[in-house]
Order: sequence, then structure tokens, then C-alpha cells
Amino acid sequence: MSFSPLINQLIAALRCLPGVGPKTAQRMAFHLLERERSGGLSLAKILEEAIANVKHCHRCRTLSETELCLLCANTNRDQTLLCVVETPADVFAIEQTGSYRGLYFVLMGRLSPLDGIGPEELGLHHLVARLIEQSPKEVVLATNPTVEGEATAHYIAELVKQRGLRATRIAHGVPLGGELEFIDGNTLARSLAARAEV
Amino acid sequence: MRNNETILQSAFILHTRAYRDTSLLLELFTVEQGRISLVARGARGSRSRYKGLLQPFVPLLISWYGKSELMTLTVAEADGVMFNLAGERLLCGFYLNELLMRLLHRHDAHPQLFMAYQQALRGLQNATSMAAILRAFEKHLLRELGYALQLDREAHSGPLIQADQFYYFDPDLGMLPCESSAKSTAGQPVFCGKSLLALHADELIDKDFLRDAKRLLRLALNQLLDGKPLKSRELFL
Repeated sequence: MSFSPLINQLIAALRCLPGVGPKTAQRMAFHLLERERSGGLSLAKILEEAIANVKHCHRCRTLSETELCLLCANTNRDQTLLCVVETPADVFAIEQTGSYRGLYFVLMGRLSPLDGIGPEELGLHHLVARLIEQSPKEVVLATNPTVEGEATAHYIAELVKQRGLRATRIAHGVPLGGELEFIDGNTLARSLAARAEV
Repeated sequence: MRNNETILQSAFILHTRAYRDTSLLLELFTVEQGRISLVARGARGSRSRYKGLLQPFVPLLISWYGKSELMTLTVAEADGVMFNLAGERLLCGFYLNELLMRLLHRHDAHPQLFMAYQQALRGLQNATSMAAILRAFEKHLLRELGYALQLDREAHSGPLIQADQFYYFDPDLGMLPCESSAKSTAGQPVFCGKSLLALHADELIDKDFLRDAKRLLRLALNQLLDGKPLKSRELFL
């Protein structure tokens, strides 16, 4: 069944969101038009504003509407620590734990030679410039525990060590509250290989 | 069991890509069907049953169904633990995968090469010389692709290669003799006969042998790669 052109356009536009197929998009569109007109308007307004104003932080490259993001501008953060992550969502995840007080650098991706993404495409010269500018005592490599993430961590660790700085990698291990029986063999093997003295 | 279902075949993932919201597109190297692509539905979701499994360098047993376009993964089981490649060894692993991705045609079976790949990964885990492993694999790959290097004789089944002679490499013909150890008349790199014989016998024991083998295999591979460089080489600092 086809709707009037404007409704069709709205449904098509909503489908740019992740996890939204034709059926969900249709439900969203009708919900907004039938019951949530004011909410829909404020969504449209804030969306336009956010897309126009949110850019990348000049220091850490995370998403921010100010030139320096709030984390970089905060002088209480530990300037001797720099944590390297793949995406802005990773910054958020680490911040939620409340156990890290240093600064960040967001790669906005990872090295993936088979996708044609090498050091140049990833813009690693920005990271080198940052290392020179901040010269942290320790660089924490918090890229994802995928093979590409590991390769990225290794490459950056070499860059960091060449400058006489300390590079550390977040640990791999079994998740808290899990049962060993249900953990995949590769994770378990890694946690055994990296077991720690108690 | 569905029609067209292939059951529990040994395979390695060469590369994965995100596909739709929660699925993965897998590029695999299988023992009987060679290089294939599969969709693993729901593999990226938080409740994925493949957690930690669908990664390169994990020996897998996989089942799939479908016609030759976009086939679907049905079962994936670990066939041993992931090869433990760290640091530079991991980069070497990427290099092997990129070579296979670039040079193998889909659905061309290479069971021997599959064994060689497995052996190379095993070797990369703890060998002191990663270079020798890479060279042996490159040589095997060229042979499988039908571009085997003839290293004991000159081109056109000419005279035997002499250890104290110098040669240059013509990609279309093979090894041709040249006068001195300096560059040949046409400007190509020159190889000493000793290195060629060492590569022929798979006895790359010397640093010079390894360096020559690297130069020669690179020339031969570049020919097949149409001059487009391999990205994983850029990661070696």
C-alpha cells in the first residue's frame, strides 16, 4: 500500500537509522504524526542543530561541538596518561567505568590492511603530533580485542616506544560473573596464557 | 539438512566485514572449495552464538548452504584454539591473508595450499625467523597459481643454475644469466646462483639468501598483483 508522498519520504528517511527496516520506519512515522508531533518537531530541530555544529575535538578527535571537548578542556584530568581508542563510543564506555582519569585519543577506525586502511588512511600522523604535544608518561592502548585492533595496538605501541614512552595494553580475560563452561575457547586460552599471580 | 548444504569443512577466515545491522560477511579459505564468501547472520549481535569464533587465524569447521552467490553460514565450530600471533607475527598473518585474498580466485580448490597456510601459521607462532616461513609460503603460492619459479635451471630449460654465477629474473621466461653482480644490462635486480639454489632446496639458512629470496619472490608476486601494492606491508615499522 502506498501513502501520500510526504509520508513515504518520511518513512524512507527514517530508514537511515541502524536497525530500522521498512516496517519499523513505518511505525515510527505514524507514531510521530499521530501522537508525538511536538516530540517530532524538537527531534527535527535538535538533529539539524547537532549535525550542523558537532565536529571533531581538535585534540582527541572525539565528537564535540566545542573546539576542545569537555574531557580535553578539563584541567583536572591526568595529563600524563593517554588512552587510545577506536571510536567515540569507546570513550563513553571507558568514562562510564569511572576508573580512568587520563586523556583520550580517538582513532576513528583501526588499521585494516585488507580493507585498504593503512597508517596513512587512518591519519596516525595526528597521533604522532599529539604524542609530541602532550608527551604523556604512559599510552594505554584500548583498541578492540579483534585481530585488527591487536594489529593497530602493536603498530601504535611501536610508534610510542620509538619516542621513549611507555605503552600498555588493556588485559584480555574472562568476563566477570560468567561461567567458564560458557566462555569461548579462544578467550579462555588467552586468559590462561596471561594468568596473574594472586 | 538442506539442499546444497556443505557439512563441517575445515576453513580459515581471511577477512570479515560488517554486513547489515548485525551480520558479518566472511571471506574464507576452505580446504575443498578454496576461497568463498558467506554471510553469518546475527554474528555481530550481543547474543551471537559465534562469539570470539569468527576471527582470522582460528581453525574452524564450518557448514553452509546456498548457491554460489551469497551463501549462508549455518554452523561454525572451533577445530582447535586460535593461533597465538602477537605483534609482528600477527602482521605476518595479515600479510598471508592479504596474499590469498588478492591472488586466489573464488571456488578454486587448493588443498595443498591450505595445508601450507596452516603450517605457516603454526610456524609463525614460535619460529625465530618469520621471513623463512613467509618465503616458503610465497613460493608454494606461486606454484599453486601455476607460476612456479624454476630455480635449478635457466629459462627455456637451459643449463643448470651455477652457485657462483649471477642471474636476473624475467617474469615471463625465468632466470637468465648475466655478466656481473652489478645490475644487469636491462636494469633488473641481479641474484646470485647460490641464493637461487638455496630457495630451490628450501634451505634459506643465511641472511643473504633470505634477502635475495625476498627480492625475487616480490618481483614474481608484483607481476601477479598488477603492480598494486599490498597494504599489510605498510604496517611493518
